Amino acid sequence: MKNRIPHIGLVLFVLIGILPFALAFIYALLYSFGVVGVVNTGFTFKFWLAVLQSGEFFKSLIYSALIAFVSMAASVGGALWITIQFRQNLEKKFLSFIAYLPLAIPGVVTGFFIFQLLSKSGFFARISYAFGWIREATDFPDLVNDTFALGINLAFITMVLPFFVLLFLNVFKNERLDELSILAQSLGANPRQVVQRIQLPILLKKARILIVLYFIFLLGSYEVPLILGQESPQMLSVLIIREIKQYDLDKISEGYVAAVLYTIIVSATVLFLFLPKRKNALI
Amino acid sequence: MKRYWKPFFLSFLVLLVLFPFTYMVLLSLMSGWQFPDFLPSYFGFKNWATIMTSEGGLLQSFVISVIISLSVAIVTTISGFFISRVVYYHPKSKVLNVLAYFPYILAPVVFAACLSFFFIKLGLFGNVTGVVVAQFLIAFPYALIFFSSFWNQKMKSYADLTATLGGSRLQTYTKVLLPMAKSMLLVCFFQTFLISWFEYGLTSIIGIGKVQTLTIKVFLFIKEANYYYGALSCCLLIFPPVVLLYFNKRYVFKKMV
Amino acid sequence: MYKSLAIFLIGFLLIACNGDAKKADDEQLRKEPWEQISIKATGTTVNFMMWQGSPVINNYMNNYVVPTVKKKYNIDLRISGGQGPEIVQLVMGEKQANVRNGQVDMVWINGETFFQLRKIDGLWGPFVKQLPNAKFIDFNDTFINTDFQQPVNYMECPWSINQFAMVYNSVKVPAPPKNLRELEAYVREYPGTFTISNDFTGMTMLKSFLAELAEGPKGLDGPFDEKKYKTLSKALWDFINSNKMYFWKEGETFPKEQSKMNQLFATGELHIVYGFNEGGIEDKVLSGLYPKSTKGYPWENGTIKNANYLGILDNASQKAGAMQVIDFLISPEAQLEKSRADGMDANTVLKVSKLPVEWQKKFKSAPKRNYGITMEELEPYAMEEPAPEYMIRLYEDFRTKVIEK
Repeated sequence: MKNRIPHIGLVLFVLIGILPFALAFIYALLYSFGVVGVVNTGFTFKFWLAVLQSGEFFKSLIYSALIAFVSMAASVGGALWITIQFRQNLEKKFLSFIAYLPLAIPGVVTGFFIFQLLSKSGFFARISYAFGWIREATDFPDLVNDTFALGINLAFITMVLPFFVLLFLNVFKNERLDELSILAQSLGANPRQVVQRIQLPILLKKARILIVLYFIFLLGSYEVPLILGQESPQMLSVLIIREIKQYDLDKISEGYVAAVLYTIIVSATVLFLFLPKRKNALI
Repeated sequence: MKRYWKPFFLSFLVLLVLFPFTYMVLLSLMSGWQFPDFLPSYFGFKNWATIMTSEGGLLQSFVISVIISLSVAIVTTISGFFISRVVYYHPKSKVLNVLAYFPYILAPVVFAACLSFFFIKLGLFGNVTGVVVAQFLIAFPYALIFFSSFWNQKMKSYADLTATLGGSRLQTYTKVLLPMAKSMLLVCFFQTFLISWFEYGLTSIIGIGKVQTLTIKVFLFIKEANYYYGALSCCLLIFPPVVLLYFNKRYVFKKMV
Repeated sequence: MYKSLAIFLIGFLLIACNGDAKKADDEQLRKEPWEQISIKATGTTVNFMMWQGSPVINNYMNNYVVPTVKKKYNIDLRISGGQGPEIVQLVMGEKQANVRNGQVDMVWINGETFFQLRKIDGLWGPFVKQLPNAKFIDFNDTFINTDFQQPVNYMECPWSINQFAMVYNSVKVPAPPKNLRELEAYVREYPGTFTISNDFTGMTMLKSFLAELAEGPKGLDGPFDEKKYKTLSKALWDFINSNKMYFWKEGETFPKEQSKMNQLFATGELHIVYGFNEGGIEDKVLSGLYPKSTKGYPWENGTIKNANYLGILDNASQKAGAMQVIDFLISPEAQLEKSRADGMDANTVLKVSKLPVEWQKKFKSAPKRNYGITMEELEPYAMEEPAPEYMIRLYEDFRTKVIEK
């Protein structure tokens, strides 16, 4: 009896945590080789060749990675700066609630909001018109659905930066960084050294894994680029779903090729991050 | 010395945070806002009144969203708590932990696209149950990983101690483990509620547009280019979490790092 | 542990393999008199998947059709959003999983989806002849009995008929372009004010262009011709690529959908747009989205005229209910409501002269358009829909040869 419960627990873990992922992956793999799928006729490499040759997937991968990288760098950088500058103020009752508010806004709303602000007929365009800076909607610069993904980046930053501010504030508290800093100062460190040698390294080290995880989340993000992205190149999830749902039934398998590639890349990152290899591999 | 700019910047940040909330409320009260006009031709409660009563009502979506998110949050928190205990006391816990991360970081929409075949097979396509199950599948890894920090050696010692002192398995949970985990359970409930409440891609695929949660509605209105109704549904989407946050915020980040 | 896993997997397979034979019932339905069908339809819940991108259409469905079928037939009509590819994907998925009772009963489709659904045997029928109101439809009209060059054969029921039209702002553009040559000059004179939406609407415009390159409105008639497509499409991509730097956003990106393009027209970024339903001008001017100076006009070489249709899916669980709803949708009452120029503004698919006199009067006295161009005015420029493969290829190639270039 005593051993029963762990068993059931483990079975449930496999059923909920592992089996669906495995099934999804196998299904996508079979589809990508034309083994399943109503219009597919049997095993073939042609979809894989088509995807690898067209290069669109890799273009989209690099594009997504660049966006995710820029957004993460700006968010983490901004969050560090805000945390270090305004730590004491943000502990106060009113401000501490305000700091949590951005967590209540989902990607869909962020995307919609940014679009409302920045589009050529949006809020800022109206202001510019009222001030006489532009004469027509077309005079307003491209800030959404644009080549440089300004809109997407801005949306990501407004989503991720507040999260990291809260995270760093908590690290500050949990790691007693204030006490450490005072100690360092009394030992003769100047304020700059305190920030550079003590606060930054500890904050970043503690947040390292979350930074990588957020990078991966942004890489696979869907709603925001769906609203604010352009038609080509598209971010990964948008590309994959577009290919899976495309008009040409004979090419749906190519979408699954992209899905398989994406899954492999993401899984490899997890293995790299979390699989304990050497003793100090996991910090 | 140079500190005088700080209050200004801080006030600016506060305005920045409050801006989207205000903007959404204002936009939801407008109609006929032509470019380049700075003021809309109508401002009032018309949108709220029509949309709450119309056949394609948002109210219904609101209720469906609440039901789905509550179910997902409750089931995930409870199952995550108990199953994580087994996983993290397992000799191979490190490997199991890594496995749990796979579905956690995969884009839900891609996950759903690859899983939809099995959902069709099981009759879980296009209905609320299917959406709950699918969202549970992506929220569960979160709960599992979230609780991993709870099951440390100390907890094990507490549990063992209770057993040694003659406590039953049930007592170990009700008298020791659950009270100690109370705040974490709360946070996990809140976070999984939000995961479900905010979810769009996976819901759109498994629900095939038949399960119209609020996020689905927002997209519907964006597609229609009906921004006023879109803003209205955004309001319904963001204000419940604000209320939850107000009561919950001090717990949210506990044990996260 | 492994034991429990095995039990689960077996259970899973068992669920996966069920599937019942309700085929016989469905066959029976096709022979039954309408009264029987009507009785069967009462009290059912019918799932209707349709494109939901237009507020006037949604308003017509949600606030007129849904309550009326509830009141008249006690049918709960549930509408969900989804068009072409989504419908086809759903049917494919359910076919693959061998699901006999599908999620969706009836769908709103066009010829391309019709083609794909026929390809995977996704449609049920023929059922249209059984509908009492079908007698008001003129099935000798080629724009009704032929959908993208395919005989409809009563497998789908026409819902409305319309023509594609060009739309322009007469204040900003006194003389809009009527052919490709003029378009080339136009985009140079007014750079950034023209674009092609990467959706159904944009592809339909491209078909008009393609036909023009084929020299004549009948240039694309007949079955799909690979060689012809290759030559014509090459000319088309050359034309677009050599002019796209004068398109909206220098042709670096294209709007994803029609509603977005309409917004761009509303804000004055675009001066020329186009669309089905004779350009969809009336409701947008009435709602204040488009300026009153908006006008519709024909493309010299012709624009596509087609009907759109309602189909019943092969694995629909409520076929009788779907038939009842479709019959209502083509009833004089519902069609009149739908044709109101101050409402959904869609031309009726009924032949008005076939209707009882009182209905003829009602149709004649219905509110008329104040701003939009009518189908009669466009009639001389009507072009048949080319074979569906043209559309599918255009989609693919527009992406690879224009957008990604």
